[in-house]
Order: sequence, then C-alpha cells, then structure tokens
Amino acid sequence: MSGSTVIRVAIMAAVIPALTGGAMPLAAQDSQFGIRGLGTPGRFETVRVRSSGGAFGPFDALSPLTEASLGDLQGLAATAMGGTSYRDVDAAAGATTSLRATRFPVMVLAGPVFGRLVLSGGFTTYLDRTWDVTLRDSLLVRGTMLPYVDELSSDGGVTDLRFAAAWRVSRRLALGAAVHVLSGSTREAAARTFDDTTYHALKQSDETRYDGLGVSGSLLIDPLPELRLSLFARSDNRLRARLGDVVTAQTDLPNTFGGGLRWAPSPSVRLAGTVTRRTWADAGPGAFNTVNWSAGLEVGAGFSPLRVGVRGGQLPFGPGATAATEVGFAAGTGRAFARGRAIVDGSLEHLRRTGAGLSERVWSFLLGFTVRP
Amino acid sequence: MRAQRVAWLAAVLAGCVDRATAPGVCPTFCPSGRIDVVDTVLAASIGRDSTFRGYVLPFQAVAMTASDVPGAVDSRVVFVTQALPASVALNTADTTTSPLVGSDSAKITLTVTRRDTSAHDQTLRLYGLPVTIDSNTTFADVQGAFAGAPLRTVNLDSLLAKPNGVDVTTGDSAGIDTTSKQLKVTIKLDSLQAPYVVGDTGKLGIGVRVGGAGPTSIAFCSRENACGATVAWYIKVDSIKGTDTTLIHKPFPRGSIFDTFLFDPPPAPPDSTLAVGGAPSARSIMRITLPRAIRDSSQIVRATLLLVPAVPARGAPVDSFVVEAHTVAADFGAKSPLVLDATRTDTTTIHVGATDTLRVEVTNLVQFWAADSTRPEVLMLRSQVEAAQPTEIRFYPSAATLFRPALRITYARRFPFGQP
Repeated sequence: MSGSTVIRVAIMAAVIPALTGGAMPLAAQDSQFGIRGLGTPGRFETVRVRSSGGAFGPFDALSPLTEASLGDLQGLAATAMGGTSYRDVDAAAGATTSLRATRFPVMVLAGPVFGRLVLSGGFTTYLDRTWDVTLRDSLLVRGTMLPYVDELSSDGGVTDLRFAAAWRVSRRLALGAAVHVLSGSTREAAARTFDDTTYHALKQSDETRYDGLGVSGSLLIDPLPELRLSLFARSDNRLRARLGDVVTAQTDLPNTFGGGLRWAPSPSVRLAGTVTRRTWADAGPGAFNTVNWSAGLEVGAGFSPLRVGVRGGQLPFGPGATAATEVGFAAGTGRAFARGRAIVDGSLEHLRRTGAGLSERVWSFLLGFTVRP
Repeated sequence: MRAQRVAWLAAVLAGCVDRATAPGVCPTFCPSGRIDVVDTVLAASIGRDSTFRGYVLPFQAVAMTASDVPGAVDSRVVFVTQALPASVALNTADTTTSPLVGSDSAKITLTVTRRDTSAHDQTLRLYGLPVTIDSNTTFADVQGAFAGAPLRTVNLDSLLAKPNGVDVTTGDSAGIDTTSKQLKVTIKLDSLQAPYVVGDTGKLGIGVRVGGAGPTSIAFCSRENACGATVAWYIKVDSIKGTDTTLIHKPFPRGSIFDTFLFDPPPAPPDSTLAVGGAPSARSIMRITLPRAIRDSSQIVRATLLLVPAVPARGAPVDSFVVEAHTVAADFGAKSPLVLDATRTDTTTIHVGATDTLRVEVTNLVQFWAADSTRPEVLMLRSQVEAAQPTEIRFYPSAATLFRPALRITYARRFPFGQP
C-alpha cells in the first residue's frame, strides 16, 4: 500500500466519524454504575494515551485533556478513534450479563495558525448515558397480582465540543486554554409488557437534550530537558436537561484539577504519571469526588513504539457510602506510515470496576487514526 | 483469500452491533424513575346515554332464528320462494315450450348457521303458509297456518346419524357443505305437500318451527346473506302429445324472494333502560368524558366498561350473542356513523339469563380517543348480528345512580424522563 493511499484511508477514517457524529454513539465506555447518576464520564484520551493507561494524557497534543500540549504541534494534525468494549456485569445475586458496545469517542483537529499559536477543535464524550435494563416484577391491579417485564433504556450522551488554543511561550513553558460547550441528547424509553395480554403493553419515549459550559486551562513546564510537568484545571458550570422547552433537571458539574510528570531518560524511553481530581460530589446525592491516577511507559522512538500502563481510581456515581473503584491495565502499539504522516494506533485495555452490589470486567479494543498532512 | 476477507468483514460488523440490555439490579443500578400504573373507576364519566331501535329489521337480517323456549320466546322462520315459469322447453334445442301442469316433488334446502348441539331430538317442522306474507306480517297473522298439521317433521339428530346423513326412505339429507362449512338440511316434499298452484305461479310459502326435548333454538341463513332457503322443483309439463304429461327429471332450482322470522312476545317498548340487540335491532349510545389528565398525559393500559343488566337477556341458552362497542365518526345521536374498524371495535358475549355485571373491554376505543383528541368520545353498543334473533339485553342507564354505567381504567402516568 502506498503512502498516499494510507493517508487517504486515514483521513477518511478520521473524518467519517466526525461527519456522522450526530448519528453515531459518541460515548467512551458505558457502565452500570452510571445509570443512577449523570452517566459514565468519558476519557479525554486518544488511543496512544489509552495504551499507556492514560498517563501520557497531559502531554499528548491531540488528547483533549489539556491544551498546553497543543503548543508542541508543528503542523496540521487530525485524529479520531473507535473502539469496541466487551463488558461482563456481575451482580451480587450471582447473575452475569455480557454486554458489547462500539463507540467513536474522540475526534480532534489542530494546527498552528500564527507563529507559535496553535488552535484546536474537536469533540469527545463528556458523559455516556447509554444503557438498557430489564426488570421482572408484579403489581396488584384489580385484585390480582399482575406479573410484568419493564425495559428502561437510554441511548446517547453528552458531548464535549472543545475549542482550544495554546501558546508556546518559551522553550520551557507552554500555556493553553479552552472553552467547552457541552451538548447532547438521549433517546429515553420506558416499556412495560404484562403477562396478561388483556393489559396492553405500554411504551413511552422522549428525547432529553443537555447543555452546559466549561472552561479549562493548562500549562507545561520543562524544568529539565528530560523532565516535563503538566498542570491543568477545568471548571464546568452545570448540566441542564430539557424535554422540549421545559428544564427537567439542572445538575452542578465538577471542577477538575490535575497534574502529570513525564520523564524521558533517553530518546526512546518515556515514563509518565498523572493524577486527576474531580469534584463530582457537586452533582448531588449519590455522587462522589474522585481521584484517578495512572502510570505508563512508552518505549521506542521510531515508527512502532510499545506502550503499557496502569490506571486506578474512583467512579463518580454508585450506591453505598463510598465510591466504586476502578483499576485496569492497558497495552498497545502504533504504526506510522508515509514518513510519519499517517499513524495507526491500536490498544487493548482491561478494566475492573467494583462497587456495592456490582462489579464489572471490561475488555476494550481501540483503534486510532492520526494524520499529519 | 476472498473467504478470509468476508469472515473478517463479518467479524468487524458483528462487533459493531451493540448489546446493551442487562437485567436491572434495582433500585441501586436502575434509573430513578419508575412506570407508575394507576387503576381507577370513573363512575360519573358516562352520561347523556339513550337507546334507539330500528337500525335493522328482521327481514333485513343476515340470519333468522327459530326458537322454542316456553315462557320466554317462540320464534318461527317464514319464507316465500321464487315463482316458476308458466312453461319450459323440454330440450335445449326446442323452440317451443311446454306448459307446467303440476309438480312431482320438491326439495327445500335450509342452511343452518347456528345449532343447539346440546339439545336432544331437535326437530324441524315445515308448514305451508300463504305466499302473501311480507314484512308487515305479524306473528298473529300466521298463527292459524302454524296451528295445523305440519307438512313434514324432520328429526335433525336422527337424520345426521344416518349414513352420509341421507334418509333413503324420505329423501331427506343433511351434511356439512364443503365450501361454506355450514350445515345444510334438505327436506323432500311430495306433490301434495308442495303443490304447483298456477294462481301462485309456483311460489311456495313455508314456515319452520323448531322443537326438541327441551328449550331449543336454531338459526338459518337468510337471503340477505346470499344463503337463504332454496327449493328444487321436480315438475310435470304438458307433452303436447295427446293427454300425456311428462315428468322432467332435472330439478328447477328457485331461491327465496322474502324471508324473515316472527316471534312472540314482541319486543318490549323502549323505556329508560339501555337496550342492545333484539329485532328490530336496538343500539345504545353513551357519551364519555375522560379526565384531561388521563386523556392527554397518560397511556391507557386497560379500559373496561361496566354495565349492570336491568333484566337478564331471555331466550334459549344457545341464543347468547355478541355485543360490539364502536366509536362514532361524528356525534349525530341516533344517526351517528359508526367507525367500522376491527382494530377499534371491542366485543363481549351476552349470556342468556345472566344478571352479573357485564364487562366490555374497550381498551382499543379509549386508546383511540387518547391518540386523537378530535374524535368524539362516544360509544355505541350494538349486537354483532343485528336483528338476527329476538334476544336483547337491557342495562341500567346513567340516570340510575346506584347501577349506572362506569368506566374502569388502568393507565400509566407519564414517565419522568429527563431526570438523572
């Protein structure tokens, strides 16, 4: 396959999900823990970063976690990713359910415009609200117990549309800022089927629209040539849910603070660690502040680096007095084509989430395309 | 190589299909909203109800009922057959015709649409009637004709028990028609029982009574349903060869030109109750006022119309009939045009003698009203086979406070979408 062909394929792979973003699910990863809350937060990471457990997130120019890293971009670049997750849900009662979801959670376009100023636009999943639960129960109607099956579902989520700018102030310092427009919708449905067909099955559905706003800022400092420090913060105001023109809910969104450290002892070896704190408890009862950490290693400076990483932390929503926890590991690699103008990254990730009354095991296969024409 | 590509593509596409349905672990891992189902009786939502009679007359019905229920109803079927021509051609090539001079025999065939299979010794008795009977003829008018000896008496049970349902002695037969799947009974009459009367132009007036070991009833198909009584004549013609007459060995089939059934006692005059059924047929109309909260913001799961019989339906047990509940396209009172749509019609069976509260499932109709607020919330009750039998049911109207019609509705409130 020639280099130009690879570039064309890569561009199509990056652009098609963007163009069809309105119709395709944009969530990162569903979880039963998010059903009772606002949803499952997305990850602001490309496949390259996911391969290392998220540790390189603050340092990856095309990951929407921070903006300052955009300052390292030398030319126009675009990236998109897709992934399929296989999730086993183990309920406390002993039942295991296997679920599967395919998502296209990230698309970013960035490039320098005026000298050292780099602008970027793109979207990523902010909250995933796709789930479908069935419930078997009965109720007393007209003097008899009436068994029924309920199916409650939600399909969609909240997308973070980011417009970012970064400025490489000096060789050792880069600054960045972004405005985040939160927008999205969910198609929600509630259906009940009675065993006694004298009672007609009922189905109600509606579309809930969401909106919100956020700002973020970040900086990159290189105290030593092989050491880089990233600090970032973000504040989102509130998530407003509407049915038609009626506001049905308004929920405070968290502030995010984090930092990361990257050490490159040699040109072909990079180590990184990141810690992020989000004040999800602002969202109300049943929500918890979270701290998430990750550590990762990238080996190889050529066209096929190898990446591994671990991550851990808490989930913002779930039952009980304490937050559900999440641990996982990931590994992946990439392959550059056409003298590095097109990059295909692949990753395999495993997560285990544990909370009161439920645990989940998730395997995710991720594929990312990056083009630098 | 091609197979590998197809397999790879199939695997990729299969992976793209979401599987998101999981058993809910509630309430901790279920959405906060629940489907709220409410059951309520709307006692005062039915009003402005009344009854109208005369939509279908007995001679316009698709069936005719003969019944013998002492103390309740005595119903008899009457019909007149078509005239015969004055002369016929003996051969198809003949240019001249031979005048009819008499009959040899005739076979009358009746199609049974409903039979009391629980009755023993069910018999049909045929009587000769004047050919002048019409829609103005009353039960009393033909009382004298039925008082005499019957032309023929046929025991249906005995006839059906014979090989192939054929009585070789009398020439009668009974069997299931392979096309219509209905029971057809053929009764043979000789020339004395079915004489060719020139003055009547060969028309026959026949009356049918039913009898049995106990109260019984039977229904025959009518000419309005294209399966009325028929007669097959075997006739004699003048051969025009001296004084001889010739028996034509092929039957001359004739249908009926009029058929109906007459019964005693006649239908009770209208009163304050709501009547449905009977002959001429009666319909009851009711106006329903659904609360706006139910009509506009909920989903109907089940709706049941509750009616308390003022008097039990009278007749043979087999005379149970089906009542249909329709809505109307526009409310013009008695002349309201019905919405004849099977998906928007609800039915129930009226059992003779029962006095229990009648429950008509009207879920389809109430859902129809809820779906289109421009539709009049009007309910019309009628018999499924109007005027085909004398049996009718009468209910208490809305004016009877204690026993008024009511609507029991089970509905689901609007689900609280948009809540985290």
